[in-house]
Amino acid sequence: MQRSSSPEIEIDTRRADTVRRTLWYGLVVVILIWCAVIPVFDGNLSLYFAMMMWVTLATGLNFIAGFTGYMPFGYVAFYGIGAYATGIAVKVLGMSVYLAIPFAGVVGVLFGLLIAPTLRLSGIYFAIVSLSLAIICQRAIALMPEEVTGGSLGLNLGVVTVREHGYYAMLLILVAALLTASWLARSRLGKALKAIRDDAEAAEALGVNVTRSRLYAWLLATLFPALAGGTQAWFTGALDPQTAFDVLVTAKTVIYAMAGGLGTVLGPLVGTVVLVWVDELIWRAFPVLNNFLLGAIIAALILFAPRGLIGSLTRRYPRLRRYIM
Amino acid sequence: MNSVLLINGLIGGVVFGAIYALIGSSLNVLVGVLRIINFAHGEFILAGGFLTYVLLTYFGINPLVALPFAAVLFFAVGYVLYYLLIPRLAHSDEPETASFLLMFGVSLMIVSVLTWIFEADVRPINFSFDPINVLLYTVENGYGEGRDAKVLVPTARLVALAINALIIVALTWFFYRTLPGKAMRAAIMNREAVQIVGIDIHRLSATAFGLAASLAAVTGVLLTLVVPSIDPNGGADLTLIGFIVIALGGLGHPVGALAAGIIFGLVEQVSNVMLPQAAAQMLGFMILVAVIFFKPSGLFGLERGR
Amino acid sequence: MTDAILSVDGLVKRFGGLVAVNEVSFDVPRGLIVGLIGINGAGKTTLMNCVNGIYHSDGGRVVVDGHDMTNHKPHEIASLGVGRTFQIPRIFHRMTLIENLMVPVLGSEKSDAELTDMAEACLDRVDLYPLRGNNGEELSGGQQKLLELARVLMFDPALILLDEPFAGVNPSLCRIMIQQIEKMKQDGKSFLLVSHDLTSIYRLSDQISVLNQGEIIASGTVETIQSDPAVIEAYLGN
Repeated sequence: MQRSSSPEIEIDTRRADTVRRTLWYGLVVVILIWCAVIPVFDGNLSLYFAMMMWVTLATGLNFIAGFTGYMPFGYVAFYGIGAYATGIAVKVLGMSVYLAIPFAGVVGVLFGLLIAPTLRLSGIYFAIVSLSLAIICQRAIALMPEEVTGGSLGLNLGVVTVREHGYYAMLLILVAALLTASWLARSRLGKALKAIRDDAEAAEALGVNVTRSRLYAWLLATLFPALAGGTQAWFTGALDPQTAFDVLVTAKTVIYAMAGGLGTVLGPLVGTVVLVWVDELIWRAFPVLNNFLLGAIIAALILFAPRGLIGSLTRRYPRLRRYIM
Repeated sequence: MNSVLLINGLIGGVVFGAIYALIGSSLNVLVGVLRIINFAHGEFILAGGFLTYVLLTYFGINPLVALPFAAVLFFAVGYVLYYLLIPRLAHSDEPETASFLLMFGVSLMIVSVLTWIFEADVRPINFSFDPINVLLYTVENGYGEGRDAKVLVPTARLVALAINALIIVALTWFFYRTLPGKAMRAAIMNREAVQIVGIDIHRLSATAFGLAASLAAVTGVLLTLVVPSIDPNGGADLTLIGFIVIALGGLGHPVGALAAGIIFGLVEQVSNVMLPQAAAQMLGFMILVAVIFFKPSGLFGLERGR
Repeated sequence: MTDAILSVDGLVKRFGGLVAVNEVSFDVPRGLIVGLIGINGAGKTTLMNCVNGIYHSDGGRVVVDGHDMTNHKPHEIASLGVGRTFQIPRIFHRMTLIENLMVPVLGSEKSDAELTDMAEACLDRVDLYPLRGNNGEELSGGQQKLLELARVLMFDPALILLDEPFAGVNPSLCRIMIQQIEKMKQDGKSFLLVSHDLTSIYRLSDQISVLNQGEIIASGTVETIQSDPAVIEAYLGN
């Protein structure tokens, strides 16, 4: 049988992979440097912190929603639990905040492990149970004794932590999330997950251990929001059950990730940066109808670019795939 | 004394339960027939409530008159909204998730418009019947010697309950006795098959969307009778209740939503008087999670493969 | 006892009151192609789904290469060397062709570079090499069937279950498909081939079983099946 290809194309695919990787790591370095010097120039620290946090959350969500197709509507639970684990570790256990953040990550992953059986459910049932669990967590924390969680008033960490350090911690977590995403996309686990997303039954018939692969993705997806939630509590110096478990956190995360394109590494990053920025612009220009325009943008994205900015672009122009991770 | 509290809880449970059943039924039409996770459902209900508020406050129109008006108006709105939004959803990889996000966007828009017009305050609904309350039951010396405990229920709640019951009867008749109703039930079971037997799925879907919007608006009108105030930010809670009810009752199970609504209403209202507030709210969700885990087809659902 | 790669014994599958597969027994001898024919609804795909674990069967045994795999999970059965294709192609539509081919070998100890070389060679065998960087969704229906076959090639299983491999495939792609099946047979692979299209199955199969209403009504070589009155009746109706 004759080979139906020219060797040039063969070199090209291999090179495309190198090009993609170089572009991606270059971008990560640029982000790292850019965000690192912001406090020095006294930039808008809160805006940049928010941006980094949302990118981390959206990237974390991508691990489960983008790579396996599960949509955890109660994603905020991990963020809230991370925030509270940090708060309790610092205020009640007297732990240093630098140790409290990894502790929060561990707690988040353990909670993910605890509710991993929910992955048995599919579609809307998984979504509803996930949402309900987030609400149960919120109410449970409000019910706990005030000496531990501060009840419905929450906890105040401001006195014992330094805000700028919280900013840099977020930057480190962001970079870790981005590198994890690019590692996952290239790894065998990532391929197994994408296969599961596209057709779980076929993947299993080809020897993929669906339950185990999904669990790994789930645990990765629970780690980052817990870290981000803890760092948010550190940066703002306060936390309470209403904001720590706000359903809007899930909704925004999903929308940012989806706007950029779930299932791509670059998507959640681009989607978040664009939408947070647009949100900020709208907020300044039209303070009254801010949410109306945001809602309209979301609706338009879903209707006209269902795979998000990056996903729709690479669908229209498949050649771009060689540059986009 | 405790028995009076309990009776109050039970009556409240039935009144709220009937409302929840109605929310569940309309949401069920969307989830079942259209596979749309309508995150804006609570806002549809609020829109009906605000229409009642405007008609009552500025034009002095009785909510009972507003009710048929809201029903027709929102049917039309829903019908048009379907053609504007839903057919394009078929282009996405996961239409269910996409529908959730789309409707989340819509809900942001509705809330934003409502708070723009009415501001973020809770608005009172100044409407009551004469007499204001109906005395249902008296426990002699219930609060100690010479002080009778009385079980009083606002007339408006009883009226709302009666209308609610009528709507549910009419809805059941519609689903089981009329052709469009039967077609919708068929579409819940198998959307593809319905198209093969010659039903225009878009017209059926638009009708279903109109019906759901209409029912949601009517629920909003009835809700102003049950709770005489309206909050532009209260939509998400109503949406959540809708999802709880349909998960309990079984997805796309028209009668299941009814029983599930009443059960959830009873649990919520009785635990409200018996437990701290946060614990009462937790209980409802814990029941939900348990039901989905141990009987994923809902309390009344038929076992289906999958 | 013959050397059977697959041995199905008294398999039963019910859907509610309907018995879709009723006490079916047959063997696939090592290195041979066994054809399973029957009209639509005879239970062919259901039987295949029971063999590779997608369905939980209600009775009987499935033995793969000497291991009792009855009601094991699909990925466990796959790891014993059972590959399959589907009646309606089930490719991974948002992954590139190369990535599609990586899925069955994710557990392999070979390096990614080696696996990529293998994947390219497999794609070349079914003439899909030039499209290797495209996503699965960008293929035509017939090409998707070939991609499924390439995925099986990559997997290199001892037993291959092919569900209607020629349905909806144009003649030139069909020729590639038959070529590859014959080549794999030369390499010592065994096949269970399900089809309702008699021409291709008569040409490829060493043995044929006829399934009708969930039961095997005849088994034997192509010649005996072709002249069996029960088969003719099942196909032409009574």
